[in-house]
Amino acid sequence: MKKISTACGPGRNMHSVSRYILPRGKHLFLLYLLMTAFAGFAQAQQTVKGKVTDEQGTPLPGVSVKVKTTSTGTGTDVNGTYTLVVPGGRSVLVFSYIGYATQEVPVNGQRAIDVQLKRGESALNEVVVVGYGTQQKKDLTSAISVVSPADIQKRQATTVAEALQGLVSGVYIRGGGQPGSEAKIEIRGLKNFRDDNPLYVIDGMITSANRDFNPNDIESIQILKDASAAAIYGSRAANGVIIITTKRGRKGPMKVEFSGKSSLQITPRYHLAETPEFAKLNFMAYDNAGVPRQNLDLSTNTNWQNEAFRVGNMQDYNMSFSGGSDNGSYMVSANYFGNNGTVISTGFKRLGLRVNTQGSKGIFSIGENIAITNSTSDEMSGNPYVDVVRMLPTIPVKDPSNPGGYGYGNESKARTFGTNPVAIANLEDRANENFRIRGNLWAELRLLPSLKYRFNLGYETSNDHYKYLRKEGNWTLNQSYDPAIANENRGRWQSAIVEHTLSYNGNFGKHRLTALAGQTYQRDTYGQIWGTKRNILQNSSGYYYSVLDQGSEPQTGGFEQKAVLISYLGRLEYSYADKYLLNAVFRRDGSSRLAPGNKWGNFPSVSAAWRISKEDFFRVKWIDDLKLRASYGMLGSSNIGYWDYLATINTFSTIAMGRDQHTLPGATQVRLVNANLRWETLTQTNIGLDAAVLDNRLSFTAEYFIARTKDVLTDMPIALTTGNDGGNPVVNAATLRNAGVELSATYRGEASDVHYSATLNFTRLRNKVEALGYGRQNIFVGNTVTRIGQPVGMWYVLQTDGIFQTMDEVNNYKNKDGKIIQPDAKPGDIRFKDNSGDGQITNEDKVVVGSPWPDFEMGLNLGASWKHFELSMNWFGSFGATVFNGYRSLVDRFDDNSNYRAGIQPWTPEHPNTSVPRAYYGSTLNSRGDTDRWLEKGNFARMKYISIAYTLPEAWLKRIGFTGGQVSLSGQNLITITKYGGLDPEFNNGSLFERGFNNFNFPNLKMYSVGLQFGF
Amino acid sequence: MKNIFYIFVCLVTTLTACNKDLNVDNPNTLTDVQFWKSESDAEKGINAAYAMFYKPGVWSRWIYFRLDLTSDEGFSKSPWVELGDWTRFQYVNYNFWEGNVITWRDTYKAIFRCNQVLANVPGITFADPEKREGILAQAKFLRALYYYYAAILWENVPLVLQPSKPDDLPKQNTLAEVFAQVEKDLTEAEAHLPVQWDDPNVGRPTKGAVRAFLARARMQQRKWPEAKAALDYFFTGQGMGRYGLVANFQDNFTHLNENNRESVFEIQFSDVNKGGDGDDPNQNMGTNRPQFFAPRGIGWSDGQARYWMVDEFKKEKTAAGTLDPRLRYSLFYPSLEADFGDKIYGRSWQWGNDEAWFRKYQRDYYRTNEDYFAQDNFRLVRYADVLLMYAEVLNENGQITDAAKYVDSVRSRVGMLPLATAHPEALLGKDAFRERLKTERMLELCGESVRWADLKRWGDLETQVGVDKVALRDPDFKNFKVGKHIRLPIPQIEVLNNSNLKQNDKY
Repeated sequence: MKKISTACGPGRNMHSVSRYILPRGKHLFLLYLLMTAFAGFAQAQQTVKGKVTDEQGTPLPGVSVKVKTTSTGTGTDVNGTYTLVVPGGRSVLVFSYIGYATQEVPVNGQRAIDVQLKRGESALNEVVVVGYGTQQKKDLTSAISVVSPADIQKRQATTVAEALQGLVSGVYIRGGGQPGSEAKIEIRGLKNFRDDNPLYVIDGMITSANRDFNPNDIESIQILKDASAAAIYGSRAANGVIIITTKRGRKGPMKVEFSGKSSLQITPRYHLAETPEFAKLNFMAYDNAGVPRQNLDLSTNTNWQNEAFRVGNMQDYNMSFSGGSDNGSYMVSANYFGNNGTVISTGFKRLGLRVNTQGSKGIFSIGENIAITNSTSDEMSGNPYVDVVRMLPTIPVKDPSNPGGYGYGNESKARTFGTNPVAIANLEDRANENFRIRGNLWAELRLLPSLKYRFNLGYETSNDHYKYLRKEGNWTLNQSYDPAIANENRGRWQSAIVEHTLSYNGNFGKHRLTALAGQTYQRDTYGQIWGTKRNILQNSSGYYYSVLDQGSEPQTGGFEQKAVLISYLGRLEYSYADKYLLNAVFRRDGSSRLAPGNKWGNFPSVSAAWRISKEDFFRVKWIDDLKLRASYGMLGSSNIGYWDYLATINTFSTIAMGRDQHTLPGATQVRLVNANLRWETLTQTNIGLDAAVLDNRLSFTAEYFIARTKDVLTDMPIALTTGNDGGNPVVNAATLRNAGVELSATYRGEASDVHYSATLNFTRLRNKVEALGYGRQNIFVGNTVTRIGQPVGMWYVLQTDGIFQTMDEVNNYKNKDGKIIQPDAKPGDIRFKDNSGDGQITNEDKVVVGSPWPDFEMGLNLGASWKHFELSMNWFGSFGATVFNGYRSLVDRFDDNSNYRAGIQPWTPEHPNTSVPRAYYGSTLNSRGDTDRWLEKGNFARMKYISIAYTLPEAWLKRIGFTGGQVSLSGQNLITITKYGGLDPEFNNGSLFERGFNNFNFPNLKMYSVGLQFGF
Repeated sequence: MKNIFYIFVCLVTTLTACNKDLNVDNPNTLTDVQFWKSESDAEKGINAAYAMFYKPGVWSRWIYFRLDLTSDEGFSKSPWVELGDWTRFQYVNYNFWEGNVITWRDTYKAIFRCNQVLANVPGITFADPEKREGILAQAKFLRALYYYYAAILWENVPLVLQPSKPDDLPKQNTLAEVFAQVEKDLTEAEAHLPVQWDDPNVGRPTKGAVRAFLARARMQQRKWPEAKAALDYFFTGQGMGRYGLVANFQDNFTHLNENNRESVFEIQFSDVNKGGDGDDPNQNMGTNRPQFFAPRGIGWSDGQARYWMVDEFKKEKTAAGTLDPRLRYSLFYPSLEADFGDKIYGRSWQWGNDEAWFRKYQRDYYRTNEDYFAQDNFRLVRYADVLLMYAEVLNENGQITDAAKYVDSVRSRVGMLPLATAHPEALLGKDAFRERLKTERMLELCGESVRWADLKRWGDLETQVGVDKVALRDPDFKNFKVGKHIRLPIPQIEVLNNSNLKQNDKY
């Protein structure tokens, strides 16, 4: 039945049904049921066409046109026109558009209805999916951000996360340009010491929006940031929740839509020395150290970047077919996404098909969403972004005298252990293929007008196949001999979720009540088998038969994983006169990953809002809407390994024993465990303010939050004297506090023909460690310290204090006892600060010198349209972080042979005015990595996206039978403003403690795209 | 309402079914409570302790850098500068994984395995209780072995004697306490270990292996009479007549004549598995040493031999007037091909004229390249060493003439004349004899990971005069600070994470 079939989730229907039916009483309801059941027969269908414009007569695309009290509806196309089949002459059409007043127009038998929308209505009537239901934005009591899917879809991105950058406040996103790579996304700070990805809910399926998910299928996306919003998802929601609903068909004849984008990708490059400059510097470093110069091949001048990098390209094509009737709808979409990487021998391809359908009869409705994708990636071997630096320009790409025929380091003429990126790309093949099915089946039964039961069955499976072939040959100096080796693994991931929910919706005068109760069961399993063979068969032309039937010395293995999560959930929403809003959530979770006795956890939350602007006493004319919100809630996390509480025996040891050296098995405990693992709990308080002013032209949201995570589940380092290996045992250890301010403001305006809008996001986050496990005061990882009372991963290094210019300076550099601090130093060497005052430079002199956390991050999104043209631009900036420039720590050192930074000027008696110490081969003393010499400010502002689009005139399109069309030109990462000396200040280091370490992470790429969109 | 009732029933049934579902068994392996039940479990437990020999922190790779390269026999020209720095007393970052932390970690990982056996096996019922005692004795021997090398390297290490818990922060012990524990474990182990194992068990420690390590521990403490008592086993005790020198000196370093009569304790390496060094299926049972010590262009060449040893070998000819054959099998050096006709991995000399590499345990005797899976057993103690140890102990106890006998038997295997003829000055006094013995030990045992302990024992590193003398042979010792570099720094993370630990002096 159309009354019950959903357009945007169950909650909205509850509202509409209750609003129009409940007040009339039971008899009327029965009559209504009868009527609607036969509506198809009783009412004559008719088609209504029209055009929607604004007050200036400019067409408005994307306006929602709906038949009132039904889910039948459509949207206007780029020319503002719509066509809708309405059930009968007495229907009422509802036109709504963000920033404009909603209008209702009775059809009254008209065939054409043109509408002019007036500015005024705020964005607050948007419907927001909140998890097991929907709410109107004006009724929200918690921190939820909504992103326009169009903003995501116009960017060229592999994953949703990447495309979200700068569009939402409070969300930290770092990606990279590696084909098939998935961006890191962190909502409201680092709240634990493990995987910090948020929970993705796609059409009710708890999953991850990884590279197998096509961002073009998104119909709506919302980000639940605070505890009370995410609480309904209980465990795993501690890092926030991203809810995605995929597109579905709308009533009407079939609509065909096509969009295509084609891009070129260009990697940023280093400025490295060429052979003449390299040789000069290298000889200087050897001479200074008194080491005989190496016999460099000065006739070779290889540009390794030209060899390893290329212009990449990306193709993204989507075609969708959708339509529907009163009793059902369908949407079929197909997607091809291809990316040839900017690094040789890398690429990613995705083929996707999605089918979303739904239908209804009487009080029963049913639907499904299913996506099938196959992704293949040609993976990178080694890291070419390091290799091109470590390879010397004097090394040729090919060298027939080496096994395999590639050039690499040579003891007498090019001493480097760098990897030839061309050799490794050709000698190692790594391919990954994932075939994934992800979808859900749901059914709804409207038991009473106010009571609804919903069943949801979600299922996801992925068949994973990894294939590796190592061909015979070398890529680096002094490599050990390996024959051709083939390795292959096949795995299968399955996740199933079964949910039952019961929801009630009631209006009693000015009181409105919604209640939800439910139970969910989720089971995740994974199993893998693998095999390896050596001495792979090769034919005379060099081809390897890499199937596992070939070769010798077989090795195999396999493992299985399984986890279960059971939850009970409940939510109560109450509002009085739209003024006072209250929302309470309770969730009880049981996780198989926690120790017996600790498996269950209870997570309550409560939130409230006060719409001040609805109060009678509130008479500020220029404020259209003002709402104050507050929430408090608890969330749990058991996001750890499958059996981390369980001490297991490692049975993989084997030994050779006896005169015949036969093999005997061994078994022992290798990894220690903490047997009492319990829930990690996050408590979050959020205070928010929403306002709309100046005829809703300016809307504004401000949030302040404090999140405290206790009993953080972490693999905290333990003493090595325990003999533990295989990873530190997981323990409920630390307490972390994150507090932050998020501001977001949007202004929309127009001047004659030009419509424009600007949105500014601002995020400021403070992270602080309140306790560490095992009574620990510090955790040291690399060059960082994580210390109680400070943020995670502060830079902890030796401080440099310039360069000694003379021997006198060396001899006069003494501590208070008169001890010469660096007696072995020579002019041109670095002076270190003796912070401990003991007259020598040791680890005791290290101090905290900077934070890897930005002071604040900002996003600026600008849009403007004029007649058929539309311009949009996104800027993103991050300010105040201190980062470790891994690149400079390699190219500015002379102790080891790598290529040098072009134009570098090491200290010499002739050139004493430089910050680079004297070049000295073979000693780390002037080039040690644990100093502040490599730390830089990581401030940057970047134009993430710019596009200009042209909407094709209606008249042209009609001639070829199209209903809409648009062409666009766009660019990504084209402008970056920064003083940072590395390749890219916007990088993603996977380490929690070394988040500021730019360790040759794959950079963001410049992209130039053309796009085409049309429909008919 | 029927529907609601039905749903309610559904919900309740799923709920009750589900709660049991939260107990998911791990289908991959045993839990600790299911283990340590049977004789076979005990055997597997002790075998896992042996498997630690194959780990890179200890005997498959990095410990040779500490024992051989740090000594005056070896050094590093590795382009990996930090790796080289850690063989020349330039310890900057105490957390350098390859130079320090991994060896510390693997040492305690091995001790954890021994402690598990020692704590759990006594509770297992054995048909033959003596078999259980034998397993416990092996665990004690291995634990003593790891503590012996920990004492050589860091000296003041914590003694962990019980299976570990994650929050353990053990107390530090003194060098004397560590050696006392080594002696205790060895003494207890000896009673339940055989004089000789049957063929399937050759490779496990014998009474002789125990005595050799007991002697080493006592010698390091300069407890000479006690050390002699330990070694008497080989000459007047049960071990008498069971050991001898193999005719072919080279047989001590190849996979062709392993566990021979010269062998006192060998690490059993094998190339059957070609896996990694983690605790995974198919884990490597070979050693990486030859890959890391092979000359440039063949292996990583992270360690090579000091040239003074070539000169030392050439100072004395055999009775027949030929070069000392031990030179041929000990070192790769420029005139190897001219002197003995041997190429180096099939190549003629192509390296520096003042360069040399260790040849012992390198596999050029049958191949032209190296890999990570070398199968030649490492002789941790061989009888020639026992003979020289005995000679040293006797000398220190004032029995020079007796001592010379044992040196002579080592020399005569390779055709060298007796000391009395070749080096009469060595017999003139205890100090002179000790000086000669230092050279004799190098000639016989260079590259066999005993030199670092030797230098410490002889006191050569305790005075600046002594260090200066060593530095004439190995200029790396110019960096050596008396009282500091005699021991390694304890990994800094360990000192930071365990408030009971103090960093070693002067670090």
